[in-house]
Amino acid sequence: MDTMDWTLAIKTAAGGFGLVFGILMLLWISVELTRITLQKFFGVKK
Amino acid sequence: MLFGLMETGFPLFYWGNALMIVIALTLIYLAIAKGMEPLLLVPIGFGMILVNLPLGGMMDYEMMLRAPQAGTVMEVSMNKGTGFDKGAIVCKLDTGEVKAPVFGRVDSLKVSKGQRVEQGQVIASILTMEQTNQAELPSRPIGLLSRIFQFGVMWQILPPLMFLCLGALTDFGPMLANPKTLLLGAAAQFGVYLAFFMSLFFGFSLTEAASIGIIGGAEGPTTIYVTSVLAPHIIGATAVACYSYMALVPIIIPPVIRLLTTKKERQIYMKPSLRPVSRLEKIVFPLITAIIVILLVPTSAPLMGCFMLGNLFKECGVTERLNQTAQTTFVDLITIFLTLAIGAAMPAQNFLQPKTLLVLVLGVVSFASAAAAGVILAKIMNLFLKEKINPMIGGAGVSAVPMSARVVQVMGQAEDKKNFLLMHAMGPNVAGAIGAAIAGGVFIGILG
Repeated sequence: MDTMDWTLAIKTAAGGFGLVFGILMLLWISVELTRITLQKFFGVKK
Repeated sequence: MLFGLMETGFPLFYWGNALMIVIALTLIYLAIAKGMEPLLLVPIGFGMILVNLPLGGMMDYEMMLRAPQAGTVMEVSMNKGTGFDKGAIVCKLDTGEVKAPVFGRVDSLKVSKGQRVEQGQVIASILTMEQTNQAELPSRPIGLLSRIFQFGVMWQILPPLMFLCLGALTDFGPMLANPKTLLLGAAAQFGVYLAFFMSLFFGFSLTEAASIGIIGGAEGPTTIYVTSVLAPHIIGATAVACYSYMALVPIIIPPVIRLLTTKKERQIYMKPSLRPVSRLEKIVFPLITAIIVILLVPTSAPLMGCFMLGNLFKECGVTERLNQTAQTTFVDLITIFLTLAIGAAMPAQNFLQPKTLLVLVLGVVSFASAAAAGVILAKIMNLFLKEKINPMIGGAGVSAVPMSARVVQVMGQAEDKKNFLLMHAMGPNVAGAIGAAIAGGVFIGILG
């Protein structure tokens, strides 16, 4: 490329990393919620 | 010619082919003698050998070379069988030159001196091993490995299926028992984006930089999938970098961990037993993950969907046949096709470029910074946690499963024989696999 689209590059990197982090945090929350829900309604089973 | 009967590969064999064969033999040596990822490095190495033995044809694509403008043929510079580099003059018209857009050899010439050609008329049929943008330079695979590569890799079939098998082989239990380790897997993706930026400074395009950055995700199928979509012309370099560095994780990660941690931190004891995780949690996890991630990043659907499906096969308990097949025969079949095709994507003319060396260097940077970011986040988390985590497990966020976790286990044992970190390290290890797939999907979503 003769000219680099640095705006897109920064958006890709920052946005991408933020999205990955955010999604994995969301998964953390969903794992904990799932655990609490299943323990409450089904009890802990192995 | 051999006894005047048939062509041999010797006339087209050059120092580049010899060097690539030496590199291939080195990979095979590491696999067989040192036991480093043999299931991957043996077929990759052999594929490299096959494609660097000229006239084998296994990785050939047929391309029609067309006249860029109308004119009369003044000179035909090549004969049938002539090998050429990219940019070589194939023939001269009175209106300009017809240059080869790729490296390769002439299969057949369709014009002769003095002939009038129209714009777009076929000048010659050429054979090349170069991966091209099919919209700009269409080509047809005519060799065994080029067909496997085209229809397996470039059609994005083999990488997601490999991810399905990896899902069947993955136990998310340790991660579910301690889900904050998902953050360590997320932190490790920092290496992806650092390498992405560094690649841009070295002059790579956005799509090339994304393909190089994703090496730090330490997932072969993700790297191959992203590169096949965004920058197929460097797929050989990125794939071999990823798989080689996965095999070299015991060498890359420990120095990074030692540099960023004190002896006291490395000796932080973590209780060996984790919270018991119920079967229901393990069944619900792949379902919820697939739904959430694919809704947020639709372009991650092939990888994440297959990954979670494979894991559901494993955990649901009622698809044991499918689980066993995915963990054994199927993964072996996919591995053979995928790694052979990847090895064959490395002819010397493609691989021995300054850019390739840069890809390899940036790949190491990606891996090392991924481990560093995981360790650093673990240290930051310890500022807020009552029950400290050993920051070494952050280094296992480099998702070379389970090698990174084993490396952390060995390092932990070296500091304190009573400290068993393997299951704790498996948490960020498998979380990193999810993170890498998401990162790959994000790159494709933005740049694809």
